[in-house]
Amino acid sequence: MQQRPFQQVDVFTAQAYRGNPLAVVLDGTGLSTETMQEFTNWTNLSEATFLLPPTPEGRAAGADYRVRIFCPGRELPFAGHPTLGSCHAWLQAGGKPQVAGKVVQECGVGLVTLRQDGDRLAFAAPALIKSGPLAEDDVALIARGLGVDRSDILHHAWCDNGPNWRGVMLRSAEQVLALKPDASILGQLDVGVVGPRGKVGVIGSTDAEGIAFEVRAFFPGNNGLAEDPVTGSLNAALAQWLIGVGLAPTQYVAAQGTCLGRAGRVLVEQDGDTIWVGGSSVTCVSGEVLL
Amino acid sequence: MHQRPFKQIDVFSDRPGFGNPVAVVLDAEGLSDSDMRRFAAWTNLSETTFLLPATEAGRAAGADYRLRIFSPNGELPFAGHPTLGTCHAWLQAGNTPRQQGMVIQECALGLVRIAQADGTLAFAAPPLKRSAPSPALVPLIASALGLRPPQILGAQLLDNGPVWLGLLLDSADTVLGLRPDHARLKDLGQDVGVIHVGPTASDTAQPGVVVRAFAAPMGNPEDPVTGTLNASLAEWLIADGLAPRSYLVAQGECLGRAGRVHIRQDDDHQIWVGGRAVTCIEGTVLL
Repeated sequence: MQQRPFQQVDVFTAQAYRGNPLAVVLDGTGLSTETMQEFTNWTNLSEATFLLPPTPEGRAAGADYRVRIFCPGRELPFAGHPTLGSCHAWLQAGGKPQVAGKVVQECGVGLVTLRQDGDRLAFAAPALIKSGPLAEDDVALIARGLGVDRSDILHHAWCDNGPNWRGVMLRSAEQVLALKPDASILGQLDVGVVGPRGKVGVIGSTDAEGIAFEVRAFFPGNNGLAEDPVTGSLNAALAQWLIGVGLAPTQYVAAQGTCLGRAGRVLVEQDGDTIWVGGSSVTCVSGEVLL
Repeated sequence: MHQRPFKQIDVFSDRPGFGNPVAVVLDAEGLSDSDMRRFAAWTNLSETTFLLPATEAGRAAGADYRLRIFSPNGELPFAGHPTLGTCHAWLQAGNTPRQQGMVIQECALGLVRIAQADGTLAFAAPPLKRSAPSPALVPLIASALGLRPPQILGAQLLDNGPVWLGLLLDSADTVLGLRPDHARLKDLGQDVGVIHVGPTASDTAQPGVVVRAFAAPMGNPEDPVTGTLNASLAEWLIADGLAPRSYLVAQGECLGRAGRVHIRQDDDHQIWVGGRAVTCIEGTVLL
């Protein structure tokens, strides 16, 4: 056991404590999988990450660092906010990418490229595993679980890119913010809800702050239904769906976490075949951890 | 916003990661209530604490420091593991109490004494109000826990701030084998603490008592190691002759923790609830 450099980073926000937190152990060398899992459970955060030097193959392919991502109970091959937060912590601690403006992360799914744009970082949305409309039974169930009329769900799609999100679009951001979902109806479903903040029916319109959509993410937690403050994977999948079918412009900002007192801001940008999902991060706690 | 000294302490354990964590902001001067609430929601720990100088009245009454304790849902008048963890952080930061071996904490509940001895810290259990639970409640709780009536040796409603239904169970295996229906407990709205006192409980070299704390209504299906619950269970069981005057509790095993809570009743009948603490994260926080 030794002191290791540590940061707790707030992701998808430029304002401390308005995003989604992540614990980052900046030197995970020599830690067993079991120790990483136990520490993650202890932090009580949705994810903790452990930075490592790239493997020889990873380094040969251009990786700048390797990261292992854990949520309570298991290791994840990839996750959005932990990727942005880990990369932010790595840069903050003095990491220099091999190619300026581009950071290559080695993780469970392989190499992931991050784009650096000032103090913002973005990852390329991973391919959807399942897309296309939801079954009508699911849509009816989600409507009841969210407490809205079936006709309030204007559009729906599978948003499965690892996490098994079902996406639904409601009439307005106000409607999204007013939801009081019923855990006993939604059961084991992961549901992502999106509604326009701008003028209804006008693609690309925004509110005064320049935000196009309000997003909320509901999933079964260990104490009933839980809401995630700001969700990289869901926003990535929503962007692929909405841009793909022309319901969103090729560049927009989504807000998430409003009902939890957060002010998450997710920046989406399509560039060729790639959709970039990014945002700012703030280091809130920095010091050392005994591990 | 500026950098403030920060520690995250593991309490009721001397092995980092095996107790119950608390986040401690060591200098909280100038933070508003909403700053504290927001940070406590963000850490997502069961408790986050903020150290402040004692008030004038508190200082006159002997307080060494003042503490504000927040859960993700709001401020608490008192809590056990945050009290011990913060005291550990305060001592480790180089402070010494005005009275040797006895730290006096000012918090919303009033003044709380914390005794220092042999590498452990122990808080004086706050006064307990207790009563028999309503006859309708126990069977409902028992069924949500998967307990049969003969496995329950005693039941008591315990209130030392937080209100727990205490259940004395017939064996350690019964306690450790419980797989509660947390959704039903949440609906019933009652936090439940279960305990078994083993035949060798008076030998404090090894834990002879096991405890589990189920708090879905409070937002935490199972708490790893719980100071106030152990305080009220001890007050009840020692007063009724169902537990020896000192014993060692194991809690958190089903969550992969190894919490150890030392219970001791002194000659003035005051019960002390203690344990070890270890600093796991140390640095600064931007607040």
